[in-house]
Amino acid sequence: MPLPISPITIPAPVENIARAMQTPGENRASGEFRGVLEGTIQKIEQTRNQAAQAVEGFLSGDSQELHTAILATQRADLAFELGLQVRNKVVSAYQEIMRMQM
Amino acid sequence: MSLFSLLSVSASGMSAQRTRAELLVENLANSETTRTPDGGPYRRKDAVFATDSPESPFSSVFESQLGRPDGVRVAEVVVDDRAPERRYLPGHPDADKEGYVAFPRINPAEDMVDLMGTTRSYQANVAAISAVKDMIQRSIDLLR
Amino acid sequence: MLDPLAGRLEQYMDLLSARQKLVASNIANADTPGYKTKDIDFQNEFLNAAAQIAPHTVEARGLAARNDGNNVSIDREARLLAENDLRFNIATNLLRGQIRTVREAINEGKGA
Repeated sequence: MPLPISPITIPAPVENIARAMQTPGENRASGEFRGVLEGTIQKIEQTRNQAAQAVEGFLSGDSQELHTAILATQRADLAFELGLQVRNKVVSAYQEIMRMQM
Repeated sequence: MSLFSLLSVSASGMSAQRTRAELLVENLANSETTRTPDGGPYRRKDAVFATDSPESPFSSVFESQLGRPDGVRVAEVVVDDRAPERRYLPGHPDADKEGYVAFPRINPAEDMVDLMGTTRSYQANVAAISAVKDMIQRSIDLLR
Repeated sequence: MLDPLAGRLEQYMDLLSARQKLVASNIANADTPGYKTKDIDFQNEFLNAAAQIAPHTVEARGLAARNDGNNVSIDREARLLAENDLRFNIATNLLRGQIRTVREAINEGKGA
């Protein structure tokens, strides 16, 4: 399905997802595509670091509850999977645009 | 501090109750013992418990600052030092000059009840271990 | 994505774990002279739950003390043991459902 010829803005679904991944109250210049992508990647990194920390805490002396560590890893996994899907969508949208005859 | 520390706590409970049970069983077995290697009748023994923070092999040094959980240990074994019970049995081989024999001050019924209580406490500790194992397993299931 | 419900469930599980640890300590010290039953004020702690702050240990009220000062009721502790376990079970099941739902939502758009 060809995209309408309009200025290349962030597709609404991607923007919604990116907004869902951010904590409320965070401000972000809308329309900055790279900004959104970088912010999302940072979030993913953050959750993965938290997960690593939580697991470390559990393994090295029980200072962290097991369920806390497990939930942290689940959050990181979900964030990562989401990021992956977003990336795939963006890539395919880009390819779609490139395929259009100008 | 995590749920795993609970295992050490309950283990300490089981250990303490078992020690107490052993002493009570010894009392019951010797409730009529009139002569012991140290001379004199058997003297009743009991365990005195005290709160104690158990060591867990996996816990870090940090954990000791943050409020270790309360386990239990046998602080001491007390030997009853009251005067023994004297019964008038002139024909008894251990009778003294006046015909009295010194018997242990043990009420078997009392110690039986104590033994039942100890068994119940022991089982409660076992139940605690079982419950926490279940909770840990549920946490692991979050990964599925 | 998972929060806020997952965050609350996790706090619930934290509190249940803390309470269960005290129950185990109470059971282990059921025959310790002078030992007073410990607990946490579950409702209040959950309502005011801030992340990562350990709950406040309090003395359980309304328990009769025996001659040696010990006021542990094995019946009470056994009941709490079962209840905490059950509630923890419920929380993990709810969380599992949550995680599954979010994951499905993410992967739903895969083929589109």
